[in-house]
Amino acid sequence: MNRKLLVLLLGLVPFPVGAAPGTLIKDEDLKSSPSATAAKVASVAKGSSVDVLAREGGWTQIRVGGRTGWVRILSVRSSVGATGAGDLAALTSRREGQVVAVAGLRGLSEEELKSARFNAQELALMDRYKVDQTEATGFARAAGLTARQVAYLPDPKPTSSSGGTGNNVWEFGQ
Amino acid sequence: MKPFPMHLLHLVFCGLLGIGLAQAGDFEDALKAVLKEKLKGKENPQALATPPQQPVKPTAPAQPTAPTPPAEKPKDQLLKALLQGKTSPEEEVRIGQQIAGNLLGAAPLVRDETLQRYVNRVGLWVALQSERPGLPWRFGVIDSDDINAFAAPGGYIFVTKGLYRRLNNEAELAGVLAHEVGHVIRRHHLKLLQKSQAIAAVGSLFGSKVSSEDQLIQNIIGNGAEVVARGLDKDAEYEADRIGVVLTARAGYDVYALPAVLADIGHVAKGDKRVSLLFKTHPHPEERLGRLAEAVGDLLDNVPEGQSVASRFYRLR
Repeated sequence: MNRKLLVLLLGLVPFPVGAAPGTLIKDEDLKSSPSATAAKVASVAKGSSVDVLAREGGWTQIRVGGRTGWVRILSVRSSVGATGAGDLAALTSRREGQVVAVAGLRGLSEEELKSARFNAQELALMDRYKVDQTEATGFARAAGLTARQVAYLPDPKPTSSSGGTGNNVWEFGQ
Repeated sequence: MKPFPMHLLHLVFCGLLGIGLAQAGDFEDALKAVLKEKLKGKENPQALATPPQQPVKPTAPAQPTAPTPPAEKPKDQLLKALLQGKTSPEEEVRIGQQIAGNLLGAAPLVRDETLQRYVNRVGLWVALQSERPGLPWRFGVIDSDDINAFAAPGGYIFVTKGLYRRLNNEAELAGVLAHEVGHVIRRHHLKLLQKSQAIAAVGSLFGSKVSSEDQLIQNIIGNGAEVVARGLDKDAEYEADRIGVVLTARAGYDVYALPAVLADIGHVAKGDKRVSLLFKTHPHPEERLGRLAEAVGDLLDNVPEGQSVASRFYRLR
């Protein structure tokens, strides 16, 4: 294996994020470039501590045990993200300083949303752009897209006390 | 009709005073019980005769102009349906229409028919992979530099021009739309409205007379399009992310397209005004990626490689 050579070749990164610490959450193949068809540099075991170097598309560049390569973006849990939802405030202040709720630019500040007036013309226009199922399916087929069976992902951390849903029968009724 | 019992009036009065404590579940339950009682008394006998679930005509085009109340849907029935979590698809669309119309009042559609058609074709293909393919799904790119996307009940979905410009391919667009489709199919906004509604309903039922269904819906959703500024709870966002990844995969696109967009948004500086609203209403993208990673684990390992469809991606100047 030309590990040393590959490490040298992998120096240039499109999105430098510094070297943030992270953990590999599953066994992975370390790839030579951000592509499913790229050569495998090494195997990395679940639980390995890694340095997160960069991101590109759905890929993350990591350094682990002196080797550098790419894995799927969802295969790495960055330690910053692992602090949990409760620590979000701490997380944000540590990462990027104070969060200031500045009014947004053009048109979408909270105040502007609150005072927005119903626009029937725009809604009618939106209706005009609506397409039917035949058109959407044909358009997908034209790009070679085919529907696949994939099951919904269960919530890894179900919180019964979130209180987000209230009492309703939407899920359980018809 | 019986006179309204004094102890219930008292409870309602306490309820109004207790708005600040609105999260207390006991209080909400008590309030709902009162409302249910009251609604029973007011029920239109004709409404009782009709079955609660009207036959669905999913592809029937909804009223393109300002919503007009259908005569056979008394406004009390809509409110009741919302409080009980039993809104029909038509009622969902009526509520969504009002939110969508208001949002469009804040930011109109980008004047580019090719773009809008393109987004509808991609969006509907994604929505067809969900368990609610028959909703009258509509997608639009709105003219704002903000980086955000929105959904309203009944199948209204919006992406800002600011977010669209950051996308690299059709799969990423599909991923963003799929997240919003997730909010719609799980009725996240309706649940939020249902919750906040228990209190607001007191005013509209026992206080000022609401003259029309339009006005009732506007009362339900609050001022203008503030419902989209308020945001959902974090769990709803994580759920929409999980659904988003799955619908993207089902549609044949790159499974990692939505995570790629999240990572990109995570690189926008927090102080940047274009992400103020997004970061206020959603967990940080890094946190969302972490949650997604945990949920996905190796469950998608056997899904065949999806497509990015970069070649025909409609670039917005």
